[in-house]
Amino acid sequence: MNKNVIRSVTMVSVFFCLLWLVGLGWAVAEYYGGKPEKIPEKTKIEKKAEKKDGLHIVAIGDSLTRGTGDETGKGYVGVLMDEIKEKTKQDVQLTNLGISGQRSDQLKEQIQQTEVKRQIQTADMILVTMGGNDLFRGGQGLLEFKEEDIAEIEKKFLDNMNFIFQQIRTSNPKANVFFIGLYNPFSDLEEGKEMSKVVRHWNYQSAELSAAFPKIVFVPTFDLFELKVNDYLYTDKFHPNKKGYRLIAERVASLLTW
Amino acid sequence: MNKLIQNEMMKLIAKKRLIVIAIIIGILVAMFTYAQFKEVERQREKLGTDDWRTMIQQTIIDQQNRISSARISDEWKQQLQIALQQNQYYLDHDINPSEPGAPTFMRIFLENSIELFIPLMVMVIASDIVSSEHSQGSIKLLLTRPVKRWKVLLSKYITLAFAISLIVAIAGILSYGISGLVFGYKGWGAPVLTGFSVTDAGLDTAGVKLINQWQFLLMDFGLVWFVAIVVGTLSFMLSVLIRSTAAGMGVMLAALISGAILSNMVSSWESAKYFFMVNLKLTNYMNGNPPPIEGMTLSFSMLVLLVWWAIGLFVSFLVFTKKDVY
Amino acid sequence: MEKITLSVHNLKKVIGKKEIIKGISFDLKEGEVFGFLGPNGAGKTTTIRMLVGLIKPTSGRIQIGGYNITENFEEAMKHLGCIVENPELYPYLSGYDNLLHFANMLDGIGKERIKEVTELVGLKDRIHDRVKTYSLGMRQRLGIAQALLGRPKVLILDEPTNGLDPAGIREMREFIRFLAEEEGLSVLVSSHLLSEIQLLCDRVAIISRGTVIKIDSVHNLLSNRERVVWRFHPIEEGKRVLRSVTAIDEREDGFITTEYDEIKTAEWNKLLVEAGVSVTEMNRKMPVLEDLFLELTGGDSIE
Repeated sequence: MNKNVIRSVTMVSVFFCLLWLVGLGWAVAEYYGGKPEKIPEKTKIEKKAEKKDGLHIVAIGDSLTRGTGDETGKGYVGVLMDEIKEKTKQDVQLTNLGISGQRSDQLKEQIQQTEVKRQIQTADMILVTMGGNDLFRGGQGLLEFKEEDIAEIEKKFLDNMNFIFQQIRTSNPKANVFFIGLYNPFSDLEEGKEMSKVVRHWNYQSAELSAAFPKIVFVPTFDLFELKVNDYLYTDKFHPNKKGYRLIAERVASLLTW
Repeated sequence: MNKLIQNEMMKLIAKKRLIVIAIIIGILVAMFTYAQFKEVERQREKLGTDDWRTMIQQTIIDQQNRISSARISDEWKQQLQIALQQNQYYLDHDINPSEPGAPTFMRIFLENSIELFIPLMVMVIASDIVSSEHSQGSIKLLLTRPVKRWKVLLSKYITLAFAISLIVAIAGILSYGISGLVFGYKGWGAPVLTGFSVTDAGLDTAGVKLINQWQFLLMDFGLVWFVAIVVGTLSFMLSVLIRSTAAGMGVMLAALISGAILSNMVSSWESAKYFFMVNLKLTNYMNGNPPPIEGMTLSFSMLVLLVWWAIGLFVSFLVFTKKDVY
Repeated sequence: MEKITLSVHNLKKVIGKKEIIKGISFDLKEGEVFGFLGPNGAGKTTTIRMLVGLIKPTSGRIQIGGYNITENFEEAMKHLGCIVENPELYPYLSGYDNLLHFANMLDGIGKERIKEVTELVGLKDRIHDRVKTYSLGMRQRLGIAQALLGRPKVLILDEPTNGLDPAGIREMREFIRFLAEEEGLSVLVSSHLLSEIQLLCDRVAIISRGTVIKIDSVHNLLSNRERVVWRFHPIEEGKRVLRSVTAIDEREDGFITTEYDEIKTAEWNKLLVEAGVSVTEMNRKMPVLEDLFLELTGGDSIE
């Protein structure tokens, strides 16, 4: 065998052996050594996001935005997307920022994140579902609800929403915002009637708030679920099922302008 | 000693094992590259964008939703929480954790192969280097020379260390070269965050540092090399102890695979952290992934590995110099 | 001629509780071929492996070229060349690379010496081919070349003709004799075949069950044990004639055996012919190992 082959392979091995040894030493030193506190500065500066062709839809909110209860996983956002894609030739991009169980105070925090702001900034349409968790707290709040409590919850909710809408309008004055209203999942139960009253009031206030902002449209869903609520609810008797989501999506779709 | 090493290198090259290993690595890298490419494409299709910020934001939202789901275990929840915080940190500091390009692919490839794949390749050479002399019978010629036995073994061990360095280098070069065809060859200077530490309270970002990708890569390579050396030494020991190459490989393979499995399920078995195979994922300490067992740190893992290494080396030399050859 | 190159004194090996080698002593002189004869399992291989340093003796002393193998391994091994069992070289290397490999393990052995031994064993044409492609005979020769690389004083060959064809065996035998006579090497050859030892060696040690039963020159050991097998007619007359000059053995198949002596045998033949006995067959018969053992160990059979 050629001696030069052996020699050069050996040389290369020695080189890499030393190189990796240096890497190992460096890794250990870097992991423990000194820890220079040069934390990178937060780049809170709003990046001017480049506007691309196509339709950008941002959905924020709670489990309804997420589509909980729909076995196909689409939710009203997904169904709506399908419809939009059918109607338009443009590329449609969806950013779904919905988080299950989110309440208005959490959304208020989320909306202030740099990246979320940036998303909203580039959006052509914004969908919002909010309030269900504030009011129903996942259904537990139902049994011991007192009127004064609800009044307070509602006030807080409206304050938060006011802030959120302001924030949206500051970031993006142009996009249409659709604020989906609440339905009453408990209308078949004993206290259903009483609850419905609360929800109606809640929706009314929400609509009023929306009206105070340009291009923020309140989308009522209360009536959709009023008559045959159980047909449109998932087995948890709280979230809509596939049919229920379809109803919501269709209602939003009917509001779209091109 | 020089000439002895030259002998061992000659045998190593003539056996063409390194070429076989290079081919295996090449095929795997090509497959991973394709898989990664498909994944990126799928993401883009799903989100309608290739903006990394949007992608990370989506990942964060996904993680938040999974955490809020009641059906997952606390431990899994904590891991998700850490991953989420890390993603948020990247997003807040406007740093892309997976800047597209061959160097990033290389980093991901290394981090995923440190535990099983690279050790496996090392094993192919290490478990054979002594036992093949036995099975061929050439050990009888090798040990009847006027050279002390420990020198013969040392030359073999040094050659093994060289071969391991080469294997790690081959893995690096091939993953860079092949993935670069698809992802491009740029990205050495991309910023990478390191120094996350995982505590009981979750992710600690106090010690986070910003370094260049090439620096991070060099450190990753160093850690991979270290792991490979330790695994190589243990295979080497088995190669001395067991005459049959296949049996030695089998034992080592079982250990490595059990390590990979154990890492995923030992969090409640505290003393499992003294096994070498649970400590192989050193790169996790660099990028802030939680260790398999609480309280494990880089120095702990390295110490455990060093002890195993020392024992392996000691046993190898003791047995080899004392053993009667039949 | 009387210089001692390899000296073994009271060598013992105990494995577990079993004493495999029970105190073997012998010396090798310069330029002689020394046979190591014994049946399989007698301890030949274990002894040889101790001589070449593969197995550590439990007690006893081995000196090669004056150096104690346990105390001064490197110096002692410089004077030793060996093939233990088959010459198992690296099949994936060429013959030359194999030699280079072993030359690298010796001080001051360079390309010239490799060329020299290659020519000596007659492998010049094929030396750059891979060992994989070699015949057994060629491998054996390469093995010897490798053993001779370091210009050893002592050559140890374990069953050197194992697996060779008759021509190969003869070639090997001549070569070994050549090494001893021309190059002055001491050669230790082990075998379980008496005929081979007889043709090859000057002196022989017979070992059985881990002990040396006898060390003597081949001539002394064998010459008066060769016998002649006769067949003649009429048989009674022939027996009478032979009995008058020597002791005879009668075999049931009608053959008569007597001792062998070049001169005497011819005379006896003459006597027989003169007495009118027609000799139809006269065969010189080598003693077999079994007989020798039987005789030396006093009825102790081969294990």
